[in-house]
Amino acid sequence: MSEVFARIVSVAMISVFMQNAIFDRAFGANVAIYASRKNEHVVGFTLGITVMTTLASIISYFFDKLVMPLENGYLFMPLIYVGIIGILYVAGLLIMWKFFHKMFRKVKQYAHLAIFNCTVIGALFLNSNYGSDLASYIGYGFGTGIGFFLACFMLNIAHERLDSEKIPRIFRGYPIMLIYIGIVSLAFNVLVGYTAEF
Amino acid sequence: MPETKNKKFSVNADGLFKQNIVLMSGLVTAPIIVAATNAERAVMLIVSFFLISYTGILLCRFIPRRIVYTVRILLYAVVAAAMYIPTMILLERLFHEAVSEVSLYVGLMVVNSFLLAKTETRFYLKPYPEMTLDAFIYVLGYALVTLVVGVLREILAYGTVYSFHLCEPIMPAAKSPFFGFILVGILAAFCRSIVGRRTSVRKERGV
Repeated sequence: MSEVFARIVSVAMISVFMQNAIFDRAFGANVAIYASRKNEHVVGFTLGITVMTTLASIISYFFDKLVMPLENGYLFMPLIYVGIIGILYVAGLLIMWKFFHKMFRKVKQYAHLAIFNCTVIGALFLNSNYGSDLASYIGYGFGTGIGFFLACFMLNIAHERLDSEKIPRIFRGYPIMLIYIGIVSLAFNVLVGYTAEF
Repeated sequence: MPETKNKKFSVNADGLFKQNIVLMSGLVTAPIIVAATNAERAVMLIVSFFLISYTGILLCRFIPRRIVYTVRILLYAVVAAAMYIPTMILLERLFHEAVSEVSLYVGLMVVNSFLLAKTETRFYLKPYPEMTLDAFIYVLGYALVTLVVGVLREILAYGTVYSFHLCEPIMPAAKSPFFGFILVGILAAFCRSIVGRRTSVRKERGV
């Protein structure tokens, strides 16, 4: 049991620091920029994405084992992943509507942005390429959500300064955010001493 | 319906620069930032974006609007995921093994915000023929940025354009994701400055 836990933690650490969804793969960079503008969005998006990547990774593990060995099985993976994410998305909204009505009203406006984005489906694709066992699938899925939080948090704390009068007008907002992500991404690459080959 | 019949068919080229989905709206950026490291990959991304997103938009228009938004979004993604199959088959025929270098980012296009969000806020509010042209102009805007990024990075990182040797590699790091972020950020600022200038000139002229 402790071995499984250690495996989950080590794979999660890899997906947070070495293969961060935003800084290393640019998965959902636009969603991270959008979410980082408000503190409550950072928490909401991170929760949604973490729950979704973890649960979807567990389910996709069984489908990967079933479909990937087939000839041309990879062609159907996006369809299967969208199906998994879609079912979890509808189930999550139904549960919230039934038991947490207030939260449902708040969340329904941006739930689809948090669920149907590159971060979630990207984690499933990477799992199918590199994941070997259920523990690594869970670890990568969970770590992707935490990595998204780390990126969102770093964007959130820089947001006010990057949106200030000191920044030239044409760079203010989205362009400077991208340049900032690029510099942090460079720092992550140097820190890890690793470049992702996709 | 009669109201739309009477409306004049108008061509709006906003999607090319003024509302460019990558540089102005920040949508579908991941494939460009990470995967568009040379011209060939850029072309692969353009073909796949056209087949998945543009065809997806045209097909999803037939999904009844009375279906709740939650389910409609899901159906859009399903249509795009179905389009992934012929897209990958075509890409493999055209580009052979090179497809594996971008296949991950082609897969991501099935949940892109262009298809899931822009459809509801812009395209599906227009009559079908006008929407077809409008969406095509947006796709052209995407293609333009992808090609520019791919060619620039290929020249800097490899000193070639579509594998034709031009010069010695100037900056090998240009193929890294961090350079992709910085380059797209600079291009976004450049595009904003041009759009801003054109808008102020038009205001001065009173157009």
